[in-house]
Amino acid sequence: MPRLLRLPAWPLTLKVPLLVAALMIAVAVMISQIVLSRLVKDQETNLTLLANAYLDGLSAAVLPAVIRGDVWETFDALDRARGQYSGVKARYALVELPNGSVLAASDPANFPIHSAVPTELRSKFLKEDGLVINDEVGRAWLTRGLRTEGFSVGRILTEIDIASLLRVRSQVVLTLILANGGLALAFSLIGYFAVKHMLQPLGVLAGYVERVREGRVEPIPERYRKKVASEFGQLFDRFNAMARALSDRETLASHLAEQEKYAMLGRLASGMAHEVNNPLGGMMNAIDTLQSHSEDPEVLSKSLDFLKRGLAGIRNVVRAALVTYKGGSDTSLLTPTDLDDLPFLVQHETGVRRLRLNWRNHVTEPLAIDGPTVRQITLNLLLNACAASPFGGEVAVDASSTDGALRIAVSDEGPGLPDNVAALLSSAGQIAAPSRDSKGLGLWTTGNLIQRLNGVAAIERSDAGTRIVVTLPISSEGARHAA
Amino acid sequence: MTPVAVRSRRSVLLGAAAASALSRLPAARAAEAFSFGLTPLFLDNDIELLSMVERYLTRRLERPVALVKRRTYHEISAMLLSGQLDAAWICDDPYVQYQDKLALLAVPLYRNKPLYQSYVIVNESSNAQSFDDIRGTVHAFSDPDSTSGYLVTRWMLALRQTTPAHFFRDSFFTYGHRNVIRAVGAGLAQSGSIDGYVWEVMIDREPELVRRTRIVFKSEWLGFPPIVAPMVIRDVPVVKALAAALLDMPTDALGREILSVLALDGFTTGTPDMYESTKKKWLIVKAQV
Repeated sequence: MPRLLRLPAWPLTLKVPLLVAALMIAVAVMISQIVLSRLVKDQETNLTLLANAYLDGLSAAVLPAVIRGDVWETFDALDRARGQYSGVKARYALVELPNGSVLAASDPANFPIHSAVPTELRSKFLKEDGLVINDEVGRAWLTRGLRTEGFSVGRILTEIDIASLLRVRSQVVLTLILANGGLALAFSLIGYFAVKHMLQPLGVLAGYVERVREGRVEPIPERYRKKVASEFGQLFDRFNAMARALSDRETLASHLAEQEKYAMLGRLASGMAHEVNNPLGGMMNAIDTLQSHSEDPEVLSKSLDFLKRGLAGIRNVVRAALVTYKGGSDTSLLTPTDLDDLPFLVQHETGVRRLRLNWRNHVTEPLAIDGPTVRQITLNLLLNACAASPFGGEVAVDASSTDGALRIAVSDEGPGLPDNVAALLSSAGQIAAPSRDSKGLGLWTTGNLIQRLNGVAAIERSDAGTRIVVTLPISSEGARHAA
Repeated sequence: MTPVAVRSRRSVLLGAAAASALSRLPAARAAEAFSFGLTPLFLDNDIELLSMVERYLTRRLERPVALVKRRTYHEISAMLLSGQLDAAWICDDPYVQYQDKLALLAVPLYRNKPLYQSYVIVNESSNAQSFDDIRGTVHAFSDPDSTSGYLVTRWMLALRQTTPAHFFRDSFFTYGHRNVIRAVGAGLAQSGSIDGYVWEVMIDREPELVRRTRIVFKSEWLGFPPIVAPMVIRDVPVVKALAAALLDMPTDALGREILSVLALDGFTTGTPDMYESTKKKWLIVKAQV
């Protein structure tokens, strides 16, 4: 689901004004309902009062004429009543006799005298005295019985136009909508800017947190601290304290890693000396042979070949050491060669312990990842595997890149890592560095390097030995650049 | 039509001895008011006109004059005949009915003639073109004692050997010529009987109302509704003074103003034979009833 479609993901600057607007609308609707309901009630009450006053006058005027059955007098009374009651806009009024016929109507063209009152029309009126209101058509129908000495002599039926009342209602509704809509909009805008202003310190904090993610740990300057509310001030203080601790830890880790690197160099130096020294004896013999039998072309060729191979071996060892400890590789790229010369650095370790190194490097092209750091991670794990392996065992390294990640698996036939030591590798960021004298500093350093590259390490144990799998993400932009 | 009468407090009993009647004459008691009866015409609500008539007659008769109005012609006729009024402007129908008991004092001149017509009108939307086309309609009469508002139409039906109950689907009385126009104009009735003089005057004064009606029948010219007094007091000075006041109206400023409002040209003395046509119609209708 897109981020913006998830409500919890919406920014507060949007959510709070929307909430204000929603609340305003809810309140407005409720108030409007109350106002309208009251208005409707008042209008109906007023209409009833006016209608009753109208009918009181009308019935008093027509009653004598109705008793006499006087068509003209009845019409005259109904006709004169029109316009006399400004609050009642009668569309027509008629007098219905007990037999259902019209005695006279104010609109005789539609209701001729002595014609039957249409059934459809009669159905709109109440049988007894009262008022029927139909808002949809804007009409009200009034009924008033005419009685004398206890006998019914007819009734007045009149239709009232209440369009003006409905117009007032519409105007009130429109006014309510405009006023409440305007208020909701105004409060939403005020809410938006107020919340935006209040959340400004969060933006500052987010900016500095983002810098941490990018590797730059900086405290929030004091000038921001003075401008913000106390809650954000405390937050800034805590962030600054955290930033300082993080900075200290980074410095320490970096220092320890450097020290570890040189410590390892020391360990390797003797092995390298041995590796250099081994061919030297043979090479000296070859030189002696050359000096003695330089005329023999076959001896010359063999001796020179021997010398060349011996020197090539020494060159490989020296080059690998130089690359590892002097740097010089591009930190944004890992080339296949960065991994391929690692066996030269560990050949002393493997040779002493008669280990078989099963080296499989499937990386065939440059990858956008910090090459020297990957190289150090791999070397550390390889040395660790060599140290852990039993005499004559096998150590395997498998490097490959798939789905935007570099995967390096190092396995040995050793008894496996203790949990506390394994934790140094997989959770290096959360665990303090072990003391220099204790074991595991190399793995803790390796763990930190893996974390710096946003990678993860998994440790698999089996009867056959231990396998450590490191997965490191490859930068997509860098890959394109590298390609 | 509109009668005007002068009323004494004691009734003038028609048919009583002249001496007895004379002893009760208003002229004998100058302090008593004259009662002048009016039946509803188009001016039934014209308070200003009544005020002008009252002022004019009071000045001319040199005594208070009380104008009396009633809803129906019959009420005015009864009051006149029973001595409750001393003079009245009545319709020609009651005049011909009681011609032997009533004396003509003056007859209005409409368009310089003491004559008028009866009209039958229909709603403007009606298709009727003649009197016979109004058969089956709801008909509005003015007053049972009105010549133009009842008698002429009733006479037309009598000639056709029929009655309102058979000829019309329904009929009713509005007790006023203006009301007949309202009833027909509003569609309460589809046809109506009305005084032609009233219809012609009202077309200028209330054109919106009158234009909703259309004339389908005009009667022959008939004697204009007269101003009468009981026969027994016709020679009493105050009654003569009333007749003179009416006849002199065009020569007086207030009188001319009154005539202008009434759309009349003046008054003439008039003679009973002017009402022969009305009388014949009444007799025919009376014979049918």
